[in-house]
Amino acid sequence: MTSTRDEFADLWGLYLPVAIIVFVVVSSAVLFALIRFRRRDGRVAAKRSSLPVAEALAALMLAAVTAVLLTATVRTEDRVDATVRPDLRIRVVAFQWGWRFEYPGRGVTVVGNSNAPPTFAVPVGETVEFSVTSRDVIHSFWIPSERFKRDAFPQRVSRFDLEFDEAGLDGGRCAEFCGLRHDAMGFDVLALPGPQFESWLRERRGAPR
Amino acid sequence: MTPATAAVPVNGALGWLASTDHKRTAARLLVTSFAFFLVGGAFALVMRSELAQPGLQIVSTDTYNELFTMHGSTMIYLVITPLALALGVYLVPLQVGASEIAAPRLTLLGYWLLASGGLTMYGGFLTDHGAGRAGWTAYYPLSGGGATPGVGMDMWILGVILAVAGSTLLAATILATIVGLRAPGMTMLRLPVFTWTMLITALMVVVSFPVLVTAMGLLFADRHLGGVFSSPGGPIAYQHLFWFYGHPVVYVMFFPFLGAVAEVTATFSRRRFFGYRPLVLSLLASAGLSMSVWAHHMFATGQVANEYFALTSHALIVPAGLEYLALIGTMVGGSILLRTPMLFAVGFMLLFLIGGLSGVMVASPPLDYHETDSYFVVAHFHYTLFAGSLFGAFAAVYYWFPKWTGTFLREGLGRLHFALLFVGANLTFFPMFFLGIDGMPRRVADYPPDAGFTSLNGLSTAGAFVIAAGIAVFIVNVLVSLRRRSPAGADPWEGHTLEWWAASPPERHNFRSLPPITSYAPLLDRREEPATRPATEGVGAR
Repeated sequence: MTSTRDEFADLWGLYLPVAIIVFVVVSSAVLFALIRFRRRDGRVAAKRSSLPVAEALAALMLAAVTAVLLTATVRTEDRVDATVRPDLRIRVVAFQWGWRFEYPGRGVTVVGNSNAPPTFAVPVGETVEFSVTSRDVIHSFWIPSERFKRDAFPQRVSRFDLEFDEAGLDGGRCAEFCGLRHDAMGFDVLALPGPQFESWLRERRGAPR
Repeated sequence: MTPATAAVPVNGALGWLASTDHKRTAARLLVTSFAFFLVGGAFALVMRSELAQPGLQIVSTDTYNELFTMHGSTMIYLVITPLALALGVYLVPLQVGASEIAAPRLTLLGYWLLASGGLTMYGGFLTDHGAGRAGWTAYYPLSGGGATPGVGMDMWILGVILAVAGSTLLAATILATIVGLRAPGMTMLRLPVFTWTMLITALMVVVSFPVLVTAMGLLFADRHLGGVFSSPGGPIAYQHLFWFYGHPVVYVMFFPFLGAVAEVTATFSRRRFFGYRPLVLSLLASAGLSMSVWAHHMFATGQVANEYFALTSHALIVPAGLEYLALIGTMVGGSILLRTPMLFAVGFMLLFLIGGLSGVMVASPPLDYHETDSYFVVAHFHYTLFAGSLFGAFAAVYYWFPKWTGTFLREGLGRLHFALLFVGANLTFFPMFFLGIDGMPRRVADYPPDAGFTSLNGLSTAGAFVIAAGIAVFIVNVLVSLRRRSPAGADPWEGHTLEWWAASPPERHNFRSLPPITSYAPLLDRREEPATRPATEGVGAR
């Protein structure tokens, strides 16, 4: 299990340079043609209207680029979607307009809404399995710093693994438009080293939340 | 055409309402969709003003939700799709050498359905709960009767049904014209490039648009009778139906403008369009693929075969690349005159490229997990729809305006219009890529002051007003040009295709005679080889 954040960075590190190179090449070709072939006295336009060899070569090149990108995507996707036996399970229930985080078997539940967003904790460096669902409309569980989101559907549970590499507080929020207070449907995730995480859990166990 | 309809010329108010001349229907559609564009644009200006600063200054969250819903619905259902079809309704019969569109009354009905659909949608603003406010996609259960009650939402659904059914009829008559009314000699591989793009567009419309009409009918039934989408698989089933329309429509809103840009590029390069056959093949491939990529809008649901849809989406790179090769290949070796239509064509090529390349980035599920529903996709689809399609539409308007009205648009104002739009579009939409990657979600009226989104949003808002200034210049240009006319002849640009053989504006039945149709550029053939062509074949309306 590698972190979604690293996987995103690696794949982005391929797609972004390819996009920039293609943009530079194509826009230079357009601007070059515009300047080099501007209308002047005596310029006669070429008559030729097809160049099958060039067209076939271009198609092959495009297919090669596509194959490279697609291979990288599928490999990354396989790793991101893979699930292992997790170190911790967290159940997430989204609702209009807030979140409920449950730690099954640990007796801890955190709830908050758009007026008082909740903060839940995770252990650093461990694999956390999230199972997300919704109590009403479709929401989406998004932690931008993890470079990952997953929709929360009513009457359905969606499972995925995340790993938090660094200790600290990060923001998260609902990404799927869900009605009036969608813009305020946030939460915070607190990544703590193992022992501190355990004491965070202990402090909340049995607390009337 | 029956003698009865031919004998009664319709003018004045009745002509405006009831003429079945395809050119008048198209003109009505152009003007109507431009009016809708101004309304949708005004919604955007209010939203951008609200987002300029954190906190709520101008509208409430509820109003903001109505605004972005109606902005998206306006632009997709009532502006870009109808603009594309209006170009087809006007130009396809002329380009294939027909005297009329097939089933002109059906075309007229299509227009009225579309216009009344728009008015029905807007009528929601007058109801107690306000207009539709579940986004232009109206995902279920948010769009259901429980989460979004009220007549306004029902009127939104009915409006979409009317507008999309109207678009389907318009496309069907364009398709029937290409299939059945081509002039003698106009074989399929002599169809002008624009007509090819309209043929493919019309095919996609007739296959995919009825699916949305059905989905909206089911949604309406669910709101009032219940039980349609309420099972555990219901919400995802709604998304499949929606995007089975929703992805092809992306290409419906792209191909006709690509076709227009291709015609402009060939004419202003004084050169036969390069790579016609590969372009036709790539259009067919794009259209086929566009019917099989819909679930790439649903990667983050975790309920679709992501890798399959990543495969079909990435495969679009090949035909899209060949389409660009054809455009650049036409310019290389040409004799290029950089008038306003060509300026907009070049703007289209450069800016749509950004839309396309960012499209590849959202076609990859591991990247899309982060980007979807963020401002990154807002930037992406505005680069395709605004900076792409709309630039193509303006290239078309500046190019064909002399044909439609007999007079040129002003060149100086055209250049100013282009400059403002080019700067404005980039200033508005480029910062949104960064906002999305930084974690700003779409469809929010507000963002926290400490999120680091403020300065980029400020830039974006400034850009929106530059765009508005550009559109104002365009309106002035049209008014000035129509009032102080500089007459254009039948063929002011040395065009390649048959519409330039007809008078400007064309007569009621388009042509008195036709030149020999020898290729996809029959008028260019005449200019290039006048000696070998029968010169007195017909004098047309000249």
